[in-house]
Amino acid sequence: AETWDMPTPYGDATFHTQNIRTFAEEVAAATDGALEITVHSANSLFPHAEIKNAVRSRQVPIGEFFLSRLSNDDLAYGLDSQPFVATSYEDAAKLWAAQKPVVTELLAKEGLMPLFSVPWPAQGLYTNGEIKTVDDLAGLRFRAYNAALEEFAALAKAAPVQIEAADIPQAFSTSQVEAMITSPSTGANSKAWDFVTHYTAIDAWVPKNIVVVNQRVFDRLDPAVQEAVMTAAAAAETRGWEMSKEEAAAKTKVMEENGITIVQPSAELVSGLQAIGAAMLENWNEKASDEAKAILEAYNQ
Amino acid sequence: MAELSDPVIFGILLTLLIALLAAGVWVALSLMIMAFVAIVAFSNAPAGLVLATTLWGHSHSWPLAALPLFILMGEILLRSRLSEDMFSGLAPWLTRLPGRLLHVNVLGCAIFAAVSGSSAATAATIGRMSVPELKERGYPESLILGTLAGSATLGFLIPPSIILIVYGVATEQSIARLFIAGVLPGIMLVCLFGGYVMVRAWMAPDTIPKEDDTMSLREKIAASRRLLPVMLLIVGVIGTIYTGVASPTDAAAVGVVLAAVLAVMTGSFGRKEFIEALMSATRTSCMIALILFGAGFLAIAMGFTGIPRNLATWIGTFDLSPHALLTVLTVFFVLLGCFLDGISVVVLTTSIILPIVQAVGIDPLWFGIFLVLVVEMSQITPPVGFNLFVIQGLTGIDILRVAKAALPFFLLLMLGLLLITVFPGIVTMLPDAMGN
Amino acid sequence: MRRVLDALYTAAGGLAALCILAICLLISAQVGLNILARVGGPALSFTIPSYADFAGFGLAAASFLAMAYTLRAGAHIRVNLLVSRLPQGAQWVAEMLSLALGTAMVGYATWFSVQLLMESLHYGDTSPGIIAVPLWIPQLTMVTGLVLLTVALLDTLVESLRNRAPVIIDFGSE
Ligand code: NA
Ligand code: NA
Repeated sequence: AETWDMPTPYGDATFHTQNIRTFAEEVAAATDGALEITVHSANSLFPHAEIKNAVRSRQVPIGEFFLSRLSNDDLAYGLDSQPFVATSYEDAAKLWAAQKPVVTELLAKEGLMPLFSVPWPAQGLYTNGEIKTVDDLAGLRFRAYNAALEEFAALAKAAPVQIEAADIPQAFSTSQVEAMITSPSTGANSKAWDFVTHYTAIDAWVPKNIVVVNQRVFDRLDPAVQEAVMTAAAAAETRGWEMSKEEAAAKTKVMEENGITIVQPSAELVSGLQAIGAAMLENWNEKASDEAKAILEAYNQ
Repeated sequence: MAELSDPVIFGILLTLLIALLAAGVWVALSLMIMAFVAIVAFSNAPAGLVLATTLWGHSHSWPLAALPLFILMGEILLRSRLSEDMFSGLAPWLTRLPGRLLHVNVLGCAIFAAVSGSSAATAATIGRMSVPELKERGYPESLILGTLAGSATLGFLIPPSIILIVYGVATEQSIARLFIAGVLPGIMLVCLFGGYVMVRAWMAPDTIPKEDDTMSLREKIAASRRLLPVMLLIVGVIGTIYTGVASPTDAAAVGVVLAAVLAVMTGSFGRKEFIEALMSATRTSCMIALILFGAGFLAIAMGFTGIPRNLATWIGTFDLSPHALLTVLTVFFVLLGCFLDGISVVVLTTSIILPIVQAVGIDPLWFGIFLVLVVEMSQITPPVGFNLFVIQGLTGIDILRVAKAALPFFLLLMLGLLLITVFPGIVTMLPDAMGN
Repeated sequence: MRRVLDALYTAAGGLAALCILAICLLISAQVGLNILARVGGPALSFTIPSYADFAGFGLAAASFLAMAYTLRAGAHIRVNLLVSRLPQGAQWVAEMLSLALGTAMVGYATWFSVQLLMESLHYGDTSPGIIAVPLWIPQLTMVTGLVLLTVALLDTLVESLRNRAPVIIDFGSE
């Protein structure tokens, strides 16, 4: 029997990790214990930043990470985190269909093969007080942790502030930051009601995690085991997307129950944000590789 | 080797570590060698690549950047008149209090803990100033070292706290609530530590040096003017955090700049002193960094071998009552804490332990604080205790002697653990008051 | 040779110190900008791009570059309570053993850190932040520091072997 160590960045309460644990159980069951996967959650094996490279150099055979972390390597990885490109699960599925062949090819250059990818719930806006138009964002200290968000803040005339994830509660309570964009999962799990009053469901983008395996390690597996892994992976992807949808609804409800005002964005806010998204996409187009542009083309068809 | 049981493997590795340390191998390298043996003998992972990844992955983290800066701040204070001034300004007020200036160690650590998230930084910064001052004034070494080693652990409990962030992220507890939950237990520990110092002073009054007791109130107030620069520093650093212009890591840089400006203004600090301070801070933070890398490699080795995970699973098989479970877990964490650093103990075991704990109806928020107290204990137990390392680094006094001096504080932390178990309200009262 | 090596260790230590100073200045500058933004409003709000990443890389450089210097200064800590009670001959043997084990362990780490660097170069790995930094640049400080530490350990081993006595005096040890 073979044992695989699998690092993931997220904790056990995250639906992604729960999904992966089920995946591991299914692989073990389908292969009759020939392949056991040990899940190491919450960065307990490798830090998030090192997981992809650890799989690449076969320190571990398999691992999970946030796909758009790799946008600096190629913008093709980051299209799911580009604001207002794909904002619903339907669009996100369509985008992943367009993205998958390109991402597969890019990862293959590093000896990696994607097994499955599962989205986070769509990203909403957390603020103190209601945001009715894009103008309401002007001047707010806005959390920006990557280049796209910094650009977004600049276009919305907000002030980008770099806050590490762990510092968020304190940063809000001391007004170091006044607005952020993240998923309802993260909002509910970090008990956002302790520090914000309003959640606006702007559904800015639907980012994904991806699970990759080292190709050489995978190729060495018995064909029957390989097939079991691929079957379980396909099931995990389907299940993960469903879990994500349920999560979005459940966690939004948790926030509402705890006193956060859930706001559907006004038409004015939506059109303003879409204008920003369009401007960002134009800049994106200038920098994107041919592969990345091909994804957008396929998606827009 | 697969037939060896986990407790046996654990025993072999621990023996190896103790042998290496006893032979005088550097602490960081002993940890690395032990981890290397663990990976090669008891797992399939490629040791060399994992080591390189760990060295790189653990070396550039943002929260860690605060460490050298806080150490530098301590060095600047030591080499200027500021730390001497602080003790001279406080001395007249503490003449009647049993234990006198030893309380500066306890309260100094508590105040600094409100700025820094780590207990090593707290020990390094406060200890840099207080150890030489208190020694010079003739306080007993064991109490100086013990109060410092013990009180510095507050860095983890009083917010901000790296360990609560790690626990909060791993278990998806609200970090804001965990921070608030740490406040009362922190105050409780300050009282326990301060109380212990008073009892010791009361039992053997001759061991505590006399401070000048003839000053009038007016003279005392006049002497207190010397406290002003340090108070400005404290207000400045805490102020930048709580007005939101600086994150906790940012605040370390603010501390260095303010300390340097104040040191120059009090006229006791020049280019030569600054270079000395900088080089000394470079050595101390490099020493701590190398141990952190060794500890990180050991943690990952433990992750691959699965020993802590298996032991935790094994504990779960006994179906213990809540109090029995907590007792067993305390012993388990103290044992692991002997040779793993606190953060690793948390990340390696929570995913097994938390479901067991929740199954018997223990509040995960309360358990986070429980865990922090146990981790604090692990900071002062040999052979691997970061506060011990920092204090040996500052004073040259061997960690085993420091550990002996810290033993009463280990027991006080144990008492603290008992108190929050009997009166869980100490932990849950404030977060419950946050509403909803 | 002795002088050249000592100068090398000290120079790297000095460079590490400069890195700490640079982290301090970088973060202070950002705090200054934060204050400016508070006073001046959104029109005057600026962030230094990826300053947290740069502070992290500065920390890595400071930690690794100072290692050899810190070793020679006797500031890497060890438990000497037991060894110091041994007769001098045995102390010397223990020192040799420590240095030999240390050289082997750090040499091994150095070798694989070179592999890591080569891999980063080969795949063109970059940092994920606002500014994409090619990772081989900060990783080069790691490799340099580890090479120096290996050299310093080996150097100390040879020196102790010649002197028939430990040469590193632990900081503050009685
Ligand atoms: Na703290
Ligand atoms: Na310990």
